[in-house]
Amino acid sequence: MGDLVQNLALGFSVAFSLQNLGLALAGCLIGTLIGVLPGVGPIATITMLLPVTFGLEPVGAIIMLAGIYYGAQYGGSTTAILVNIPGEVTAVVTTLDGHEMAKRGRAGAALGIAAIGSFFAGSLATLVVAALAVPLTKLALLFGAAEYFSLMAAGLAFAVVLARGSVLKAIAMILVGVLLSTVGTDLDTGIERMTFGYAPLADGLDFAVLAMGIFGFAEVLRNLEAAGKRDVVRAPLGRVLPTRDDLKRSAAPIARGSLLGAILGILPGNGAVLGPFASYTLEKKLAREPGRFGRGAIEGVAGPEAANNAGAQTSFIPLLSLGIPPNAVMALMVGAMTIHGIVPGPLVMTRNPALFWGVIASMWIGNLMLLVINLPLVGVWVKFLSVPYRLMFPAILLFSCIGIYSVNNSPADVLMAAGLAVVGWVFIKLDLETAPLLLGYVLGRLMEENFRRALALARGNIATFVERPVSLGLLAVAVLVIAIAVLPAVRRGRDEVFTE
Amino acid sequence: MKPLVLAAAAALTLALPSGPARAAYPDRTITMIVPFAAGGPTDVVARIVADHMSRTLGQQIVIENVAGAGGTTGITRAAQSTPDGYTIMMGHMGTHGAAPAVYPELKYDPTKDFAPIGLAAGTPILVVARKDFPAKDLKEFVAHLKANSEKLNEAHAGVGSVSFTTCTFFNSILGAKPTRVAYKGTGPALNDLVAGQVDYMCDQIVNLVPQIQAGTIKAYAVALAERSPALPDVPTTKEGGLAEYQVSAWNAIFAPKGVPAEVVTKLSDALQKALADEGTRKRLLDLGGDLGNRAAMTPAGLQKHVESEVARWNKVLKDAGAAK
Amino acid sequence: MAEDTNSPEVSPPRRRLGRSPRDFLAGACLVALALFALWAGSELDPGSLRSPGPAMVPRAIALALGAVGLLVVAFSLLEDGAKLGRWPLRGPIFVSLAVVAFALTIRSVGLAVAGPLVVIVSGAASAESRPKELVLFALAMTAFCIALFKFALSLPIPVLVLPGLFVL
Repeated sequence: MGDLVQNLALGFSVAFSLQNLGLALAGCLIGTLIGVLPGVGPIATITMLLPVTFGLEPVGAIIMLAGIYYGAQYGGSTTAILVNIPGEVTAVVTTLDGHEMAKRGRAGAALGIAAIGSFFAGSLATLVVAALAVPLTKLALLFGAAEYFSLMAAGLAFAVVLARGSVLKAIAMILVGVLLSTVGTDLDTGIERMTFGYAPLADGLDFAVLAMGIFGFAEVLRNLEAAGKRDVVRAPLGRVLPTRDDLKRSAAPIARGSLLGAILGILPGNGAVLGPFASYTLEKKLAREPGRFGRGAIEGVAGPEAANNAGAQTSFIPLLSLGIPPNAVMALMVGAMTIHGIVPGPLVMTRNPALFWGVIASMWIGNLMLLVINLPLVGVWVKFLSVPYRLMFPAILLFSCIGIYSVNNSPADVLMAAGLAVVGWVFIKLDLETAPLLLGYVLGRLMEENFRRALALARGNIATFVERPVSLGLLAVAVLVIAIAVLPAVRRGRDEVFTE
Repeated sequence: MKPLVLAAAAALTLALPSGPARAAYPDRTITMIVPFAAGGPTDVVARIVADHMSRTLGQQIVIENVAGAGGTTGITRAAQSTPDGYTIMMGHMGTHGAAPAVYPELKYDPTKDFAPIGLAAGTPILVVARKDFPAKDLKEFVAHLKANSEKLNEAHAGVGSVSFTTCTFFNSILGAKPTRVAYKGTGPALNDLVAGQVDYMCDQIVNLVPQIQAGTIKAYAVALAERSPALPDVPTTKEGGLAEYQVSAWNAIFAPKGVPAEVVTKLSDALQKALADEGTRKRLLDLGGDLGNRAAMTPAGLQKHVESEVARWNKVLKDAGAAK
Repeated sequence: MAEDTNSPEVSPPRRRLGRSPRDFLAGACLVALALFALWAGSELDPGSLRSPGPAMVPRAIALALGAVGLLVVAFSLLEDGAKLGRWPLRGPIFVSLAVVAFALTIRSVGLAVAGPLVVIVSGAASAESRPKELVLFALAMTAFCIALFKFALSLPIPVLVLPGLFVL
């Protein structure tokens, strides 16, 4: 414990230098400002802003990058709430109730609770990282391919719960997502699957392209059809910040979400993506009136946003203590560190304690700054909603095109997004929800990879998934979640048809 | 509305200070296409070298990352760009060596479609194993592998990746037939090696130095003629009695075929100057970079190097049945 | 979904496409998608459960999708549900055209042209657009994007390419 205090003291002494404070602030601010452009998700934001940090000394550069990352994440949630366009997979959950709140004129409350929840989650996660980084790393190494497969299976089970309408159709959409994830070059054999010889498909569909096309652009099309009825724009703005009642409702979800997100974020196999989904599922199950979810329940924003931010922080653990990036954003971070001559690895903590603890301390500072920057900005963001939609949607399209293009500097990606927009529109017309599709896509890829890896390692013994206790436990969770979700839903679904 | 756009464009053109007479190359920003994502080993080498070259050339070199299909997406685009010296690329052992064997429908020929500028820096390949692997040195490791390879698991970062091709070569020298476990990228592969879920892998030194220093994995050899200053305690394959295994994931600058000779000279001079600069050398060496192949640092030397690499990988991958 | 803009009106029973035409079509689309995937992956090797090949997962998922699709069709014949509703094509056509126009011009001509193109072409998707305002807005937004992405962030994004004349 004494160590912890000492280490954090060292960290804060580094982070509190005037220059580093300034860099953290600058990072959060520009991260937010770029990330809030609809269609420009965290990965695009970080890719764009990475070179900005090249001129700085290493500690400052990493602190600024971390700030950019938090800012980009929060900026992504902002667009998810305001215009229903998620910048990354975790923000998909935020669109469910966040955007519904915005439609009801409560955008300010949604943005406010997201900022508050994120701050609380960030603070908790900073403590978790500081206190437990070392022991938790060992735990993470216990997760092998079989465990990841089962974890992803549990994740897909959560996806069923996201469904607002028919459970059957939600399952179908998850399957479509998994199917789409198999397009591209097969990892094990190098054979191209379902690419029809079209070269840009060789690496599969990029998530940003899929999300922007099938979800974001399709959302624009949905709004265009509802001309005149767009409540987003017309609804009275009302109170900008959350009310005391909102805070009371959100307190417990934020605490639970932070915990869930922090735990899942530690896993090196990109467990952080599951945090918001798990949190949403949990809150929906615990709620007294689960029917409010999907119709603007503040708990459905508070919990997942907290989980998202907690996971974003603790996913630094595999990076800082193992030197292994758990996801694409962290891989960019490694690149940035390498360019500054620091290769993250198990020894960073002992060899370069000022860097290690400085970054951890600046995590908390970054979160504080996000709160300071964003609570006043909430009002500004909400004002943007009063821009008439006839001008808003061309701007959304322009930013999205630039965002999609700049991830891989690839016009083919933009072209695919155009095609997917039409597909997404058809799905809307057929009342097929795309949120479960996106989750199926992200988890499906991980699931297949780990399925085949686990079988290769077990030399074809399929029982490996139930022989390993952690894997068995996770599979049990998956079955349980499906059972809880499907059984009553089948019955309730029928009731609703007749009562509505 | 079209005329309006055109008018705006015309206005922009007229407002330009530069007249029709062409100033000496380079008179504007140069784009260097890096065919991998930002932050990867090739990107890092490119940024370090481009930083110094920009100063020599007096124009900024902007890095454009165009990742995809083992780097061949970016190189295909670069090969098809206007050969005016304003689009150049950082090619790589994969894109200009192994690619013809891995991608039968490759749209460029590494030996014919480029104007080589020079080799920048290689990143040596290391043979590493989980930290509790029984063998104590490369000889024992080789013997163990020859006897038990079918029980062992080798991790690689996907068919066509550097870790895949270089380890195919390694396995074929020994006649080893391990179970080859595919990962999406070297990060997750390394994770499972640290966790002891897989037995060994071959990978670029940049990713591995911190793990080896921390003792979380074991390094058996570096596949170079001389030891790497970044890991002076790790013996070479030659010392370990496996001199045939010498590979480096080299990175080299190319321009599309047909660039003016003057441009090639300017770029080549700038590259040589960068590689002679103490600060730049130190940055590259600190990462474990290999600056040993001086012969290939000239345009003619690089051309020869590419030809021999294409021939080598074609043979290795075809023999191993890994080529499609 | 209940308050949604294209909210379903419950159809009188026994119309042409079963009792819930929208669900009938949705299910049929899912089945078609599954068949398409099966066909697209038909040349791949499924391997065995002990050693799955590249076709194993896609094929299994496609079969499951087909089965779920059939269930959706079956329920659509049994239960009353929504009609197909209107499918106005103006939005999808102009929005996708705008994005395609961007993709085709961004590298060859640059953002200075691709930007206004997206804004103006997509503007045609909405009946509320006002031409003069849209053109001004397109130019302003493009100028903003060039200033932000090209100059403030120095992204490698082409701004204006006039072959032989001018490149930025």
